[in-house]
Amino acid sequence: MTNTVPDNPVTQLSLQVNGREVALEVEPRITLLEVLRERLDLTGAKPACGQGECGACTVLLDGRPVNACHLLAVQVDGRPVVTIEGLRERPEFQALKEALVALDGGQCGYCTPGFVVAAYAVLRDHPAADEVALRWALVGHICRCNAYENIIAGIREAGRRIG
Amino acid sequence: MTDSLDIVGQSVTRLELEDKVLGVTRYTADLKRPGMLYAKILRSPHPHARIVAIDTSAAEKAPGVHAVLTHHDVSSFAIEGDLLVLDARLRFVGDEVAAVAAESPAAAADALELIRVEYEPLPPVFDCGAALAPGAPELHPGGNLVDGRRLVVERGDTEGAFPTAFRVFEGVFHTAAHGPVGMETRSALAEWDDDRLTVHKTSRSLHAHDRKILSNALGIPLEHVRVICTSMGGGFGNKDEGRLGPLAAFLARKAGRPVRLEYSRMEEFIAGRNRQAMVSRLKIGVAEDGAPVAIEMRSEMNAGAHVASGRNVTRRIGQGALYLYACPNARFEGASVYTNHPAGGSFRGLGAPAGHFALEVLMDQVAAGMGLDPLEYRLRFHVGPEGQPGRRTTPPGEAIPDEPVEGGVPFSSHGLRECLLSGAERIGWRERRQPNGSATGPSRRGLGVAMGIYKGGVGREAQAEIHVDRRGRVEVRVGVVDVGQGSSTILAQIAAEALQLPLDFITMVMADTAHTPPGHITAGSSTTFSSGHAVKQAADTVRNRLRERAAATLGVSDVSLSGGVFTAQGREGAALTFHQLCAALPEPVIEQVTLTPGSTDRVINSFSAHFAEVEVEMDTGRIRILRYVAAQDAGRIVNPRLAEGQVTGAVLQFLGIALREELLMDPTSGVTLNPSFLEHKNTAIVDFPPVEVLFASQPEPLAPFGAKGLGEPPVVPVYAAVANAVANATGVWLHEAPFTPKRVLQAIAQQGADRP
Repeated sequence: MTNTVPDNPVTQLSLQVNGREVALEVEPRITLLEVLRERLDLTGAKPACGQGECGACTVLLDGRPVNACHLLAVQVDGRPVVTIEGLRERPEFQALKEALVALDGGQCGYCTPGFVVAAYAVLRDHPAADEVALRWALVGHICRCNAYENIIAGIREAGRRIG
Repeated sequence: MTDSLDIVGQSVTRLELEDKVLGVTRYTADLKRPGMLYAKILRSPHPHARIVAIDTSAAEKAPGVHAVLTHHDVSSFAIEGDLLVLDARLRFVGDEVAAVAAESPAAAADALELIRVEYEPLPPVFDCGAALAPGAPELHPGGNLVDGRRLVVERGDTEGAFPTAFRVFEGVFHTAAHGPVGMETRSALAEWDDDRLTVHKTSRSLHAHDRKILSNALGIPLEHVRVICTSMGGGFGNKDEGRLGPLAAFLARKAGRPVRLEYSRMEEFIAGRNRQAMVSRLKIGVAEDGAPVAIEMRSEMNAGAHVASGRNVTRRIGQGALYLYACPNARFEGASVYTNHPAGGSFRGLGAPAGHFALEVLMDQVAAGMGLDPLEYRLRFHVGPEGQPGRRTTPPGEAIPDEPVEGGVPFSSHGLRECLLSGAERIGWRERRQPNGSATGPSRRGLGVAMGIYKGGVGREAQAEIHVDRRGRVEVRVGVVDVGQGSSTILAQIAAEALQLPLDFITMVMADTAHTPPGHITAGSSTTFSSGHAVKQAADTVRNRLRERAAATLGVSDVSLSGGVFTAQGREGAALTFHQLCAALPEPVIEQVTLTPGSTDRVINSFSAHFAEVEVEMDTGRIRILRYVAAQDAGRIVNPRLAEGQVTGAVLQFLGIALREELLMDPTSGVTLNPSFLEHKNTAIVDFPPVEVLFASQPEPLAPFGAKGLGEPPVVPVYAAVANAVANATGVWLHEAPFTPKRVLQAIAQQGADRP
């Protein structure tokens, strides 16, 4: 989708967010993250680096974790997007939530939803992933509190409960 | 002190963590208001310049733009003494020139391009020596030496003592500037209701700083300003500083609509407040048995364009040299210097990690020079429970400073030796450590030790309020901000323990000037000690009042309280639940406490002893951390899981800082070269092994339930523990941090370690 008309730089989009159809008009330069946060008030995905380097804005696109700050909204027209707000309703999400809370898998919490969305996808695809595989699956996520050990412990515990 | 504790000492769940995991926690930039505008900032392309003329007419007419702000539109109030809300004088590349509020972030960014500025470039100065030289461009009135003088603190007579020393060791140590890198960038949302202002803002000091700054800058009474920061995405000693709040408030007033301002990551790196570059020249004189007889440290900090909290940063470089080893003569001289670097500020540990890097590496050189094992050296000569030799200088009856210089004052609690012994045993020091430089081959392993001393009981004025209403709701109100470290959980545990109520009876209300008593800044690892004291005292009073009321209701002289039930003493079966008692209250029970904790005859400090095991690749200069043991003396541990997380996080954060984090600036243009996560790499999830955390066992007698500060102490020895392990592995001393492969290779080349 492109729109090169300079005096009318707006594109019609149809997004599928958390199972809901959303029709929007956006400028082509607007990111998926801005649409989610500023237009749809889905603020679980966080802005932190703006260049796909920290994972705080992770959402699922076509079921796979992506950096929402690094995608234009026009790139996801018609494709299913799931945010932390959509995930948290799912029954299979509960083990992950409980294990992370019990094992203190987060401190300030700002990077946490991004970690959680990515961890959900990893456990869904590889419930028996070992610690090394989990760490490399999450290597694109930065936690400046460095709560990494407890995050990994929580995800491993959730994997055991799901597995 | 209470003998048996029910809630303090338990690893209860972090209070807000479920909301954080679910993504429902709202941080400042998650907030919206009807009609809210988005702000963007125009930044200086010059390291030093004067705005000759600024034309905002085109920007003002741009689509969606509601307000443009320049230095002509703001008051002349100086935010931190040396910082105007906007200034015609620009002092670093990235300095704030103007701001725009528009209906979308994109519209605001577009409008910035339409602002026409005529700059008069001025000569820049980037390093401390050049900035202090005669004829250097003056960045602030009064010159480039902050406050016009060097800070000097001393005990005894170093000048007289050095000539008596058996040997004198000297070294120069550098640490680089780096970014603080809270994951949440600085943000503020300002909204006006008539002449009343509400600002949601990233902050660690709503009451003590932001509210006063906003009141003064905007020219409105303090009572008309409300500041809120109920969730913060990482503080690490940062985020209360700067122009953010006033800019959002001025824009909102001019536009007549709420305005949200949110820094990009690049802005955060450049125009946030960074850890400053520091250099320390250290000299240690020892007696024939190795005992330090004189220690002198002279340090310079490159403050950048504004000093912010840099004065305290510089002072803290020297505290280790002044106080970690028993020594009759010690002197610290520190200078903070204005330059055209981006402004520095405060970051976890302030100057202490840099100061301990110098001290603890040179002490290893002393031990090596005197033929002593570095652990044995420390066990013999670290400052003991009796404190420093010499005489007290604080007048009788006055509080002992938390960064003392004087001798003759004992520590209130002192777990340093226990930390050294337990850490050494854990890492296997006595069995496994070989002499420095004895390893051979392409990859060489070594062990290093370093200690740390830090404020453990900062006596800040603290307030707490407890409200118990007829529904049985127990609100603990404190003005401090939980910056992500978990203070709400710790203060709730202290309140529940003192009230003798279950933890889930407690509701914490924090960090909102409209609903909390004044709170101190979240700094100096002071919250558990200072606010904890106030919470405990308020809770003790409330508990006693409720028990008296319960006893009167039950017609007995005394009751016990457990699990939310008052049980009559001496009358079988008579009991009253907490909620039954509350329902019969004639009015809510309210207790407010204001106090300044501390001691008039003891030093309250926290201690660290860290042990690192590293492997150094001699061909590449790469350092791998194989093991890391962190032994901490923080008194009684209120919540072991949170405390271990705090220590682990601190060490992992600083291993990244020690090995690679560095903000690079082009030395001619003043442009910051790596303001992004791509090029300023901090610790990732695959970088380091788990940290082995040990705690000393002695509670602090003067602290609430015995708990001393823990937020910063575990960062203090990290540089030195790693550098000393590298020296043990290679025989090469590192004097410049971060220890990048390039610097390690340079040190190997210069100091001539045997190549494989």
